Amino acid sequence: MPDEAAIEVEALTRYYGELLAVDHVSFEVQRGEIFGFLGPNGAGKTTTIRMLTTLLEPTEGTARINGYDITRQAHQAKHQFGVVPEESNVYRELSAWDNLIFTSKLYRVPRGEAGRRARELLEIFGLYEKRDVKVEFFSKGMRRRLTIAMGLLHRPPVLFLDEPTTGLDVQSARAIKDLLRELNRQGTTVFLTTHQIEEANQLCNRVAIINHGQIAAIDTPERLKRDFQSVQSVEVAFDRWQEGHRQGLAQLPGVSSAVRQGDKTRLYTDNPPALLEKVMSFARQRGLRVITLNTLGPSLEDVFLKITGQEVGFVVSAQPNGTVRHGPGEEDRGPGRRGRRRR
Amino acid sequence: MSEQHMIRQGMMRRITDEAAQAWAIAVKDVRIYYFTPPMVMMGLLMPFFMFFSFSVRRGLGPEAGMARLLALTTFFTASSAGPVIIPLERRMRTFDRLLAAPVSLVTILLGKMVVGIFFGLAVSLVPLVLGLVFFHVEIANPPLLALCFLLSTTAFSTLGLLFASAPGQSVGSILMPSTLLRWPLMFISGVFVPLEEMSPWVRAVSYISPLTYSQDLMNQALLGGGAQSLALDLILLPLFLVLFLIPAMKLHDWSRRLGY
Repeated sequence: MPDEAAIEVEALTRYYGELLAVDHVSFEVQRGEIFGFLGPNGAGKTTTIRMLTTLLEPTEGTARINGYDITRQAHQAKHQFGVVPEESNVYRELSAWDNLIFTSKLYRVPRGEAGRRARELLEIFGLYEKRDVKVEFFSKGMRRRLTIAMGLLHRPPVLFLDEPTTGLDVQSARAIKDLLRELNRQGTTVFLTTHQIEEANQLCNRVAIINHGQIAAIDTPERLKRDFQSVQSVEVAFDRWQEGHRQGLAQLPGVSSAVRQGDKTRLYTDNPPALLEKVMSFARQRGLRVITLNTLGPSLEDVFLKITGQEVGFVVSAQPNGTVRHGPGEEDRGPGRRGRRRR
Repeated sequence: MSEQHMIRQGMMRRITDEAAQAWAIAVKDVRIYYFTPPMVMMGLLMPFFMFFSFSVRRGLGPEAGMARLLALTTFFTASSAGPVIIPLERRMRTFDRLLAAPVSLVTILLGKMVVGIFFGLAVSLVPLVLGLVFFHVEIANPPLLALCFLLSTTAFSTLGLLFASAPGQSVGSILMPSTLLRWPLMFISGVFVPLEEMSPWVRAVSYISPLTYSQDLMNQALLGGGAQSLALDLILLPLFLVLFLIPAMKLHDWSRRLGY
């Protein structure tokens, strides 16, 4: 099967009662790829991954993992993948070692081999010293690492990860990303869902953006960015800042919106070079010294926001009554620019 | 090697794999769940509480009392395993780990069934040993008692699987309704009121309870005789196992399709 895709998805659909959670989704993941599945909360990421890992039956459509159909050949398909769910579903009452040995029994890994693999994985994940400690005493990051180790024990050619680094500290998240790169280098196909755009940008060969249960875009991060050249910006920082400056910048010709980001202001425009001179002139008129002035191409986050219906530069702010409002917040809009409410 | 031979070998390998996986699941569950509070409360304490509530000062002989206590303990303990373990595993998402592994749903349920059988046997042996040592209980037919343990715990453990097939991730939402269903069975099954003393309509209803056959079989094994035919008990208890297991498997599969 060397030329086959690792994951082939055909019109995969899932209803929850009347609610259409995943709507005829089709895509392929090639062997050896790191494939990111991006989408806002409730877009259908987890439902898709649960169908692909046979935990949920598709209402329509199907998928194949290394050529095995997930509904008609579920048993063979299950041998082809490991799963790391969003929640670290380890047995907290057992030690790390016992968790791995139990997993080896589920996947029928021979006893001697199971011990060797368990030791190897615990060493790679920095858990060997704690192998006999009950998992209930582990930190969140340690449990996450153990969950990934359990997903790898039977050496699956495909690894599914649902939000692998959510809620982890920077060091743990980086360790997991490095590990995924290393696994991929060794030939494992990685399918991960995430809503952390930068993570996908750093890790993935290709990404699919899912919104309202449908694939909205699918390509390499760089090509997606190239396709959204209209989402360009100029980033500027002055030596002093007054609240009125943002409104003034937003009203410069060619600026579609201005967003304050820390000590910098990001001005979205279709034509960054033309804007540079206007920004310098703005600074001169007000006696401001320019500390930073950069032109920026679209980030994957910009592309994601554009595709998922939240316009770039549009701020989501929590209201005192707990509701979420989509509105300008720390942002001023140029003329003719209106925000769109995300469903 | 002929194609048929290879198919046979493949099937044998699959059967041995699934048996080993069911055993691994059972051993893991025994280690994790035997002393969780709901198991201790509903499986260990409840039968003893019921026994002492309804059986003291009734002038029961040691063998009759033992038969009653053993029927209650096997019933409550074996049927508690499923309703405690399965929703707990759903809530912790460890049930997903089993479902995503190359293990059939039947094997997972068989593993859980074995846990109920072990639990029922282990808990029932305690009063039996105490009765033999301290109350000089005499067993009229020890092999029949062993068979009765096996059939009863198997049927009741499967009943527990049936209770646990309801979609839900809270132990309380499954264990409490299952307890409400189990309680009335005690009163129509000849545990507290002998079958011979029941009014005809209660006696007719008693035939639908698996506990009726377990209690009568316990009486046959310990006292040397029961209220109904031994053959009826020996046929009906395994029949209940099948009657519980088939819908339990179908309902669990249905729950899985719903995604709980």
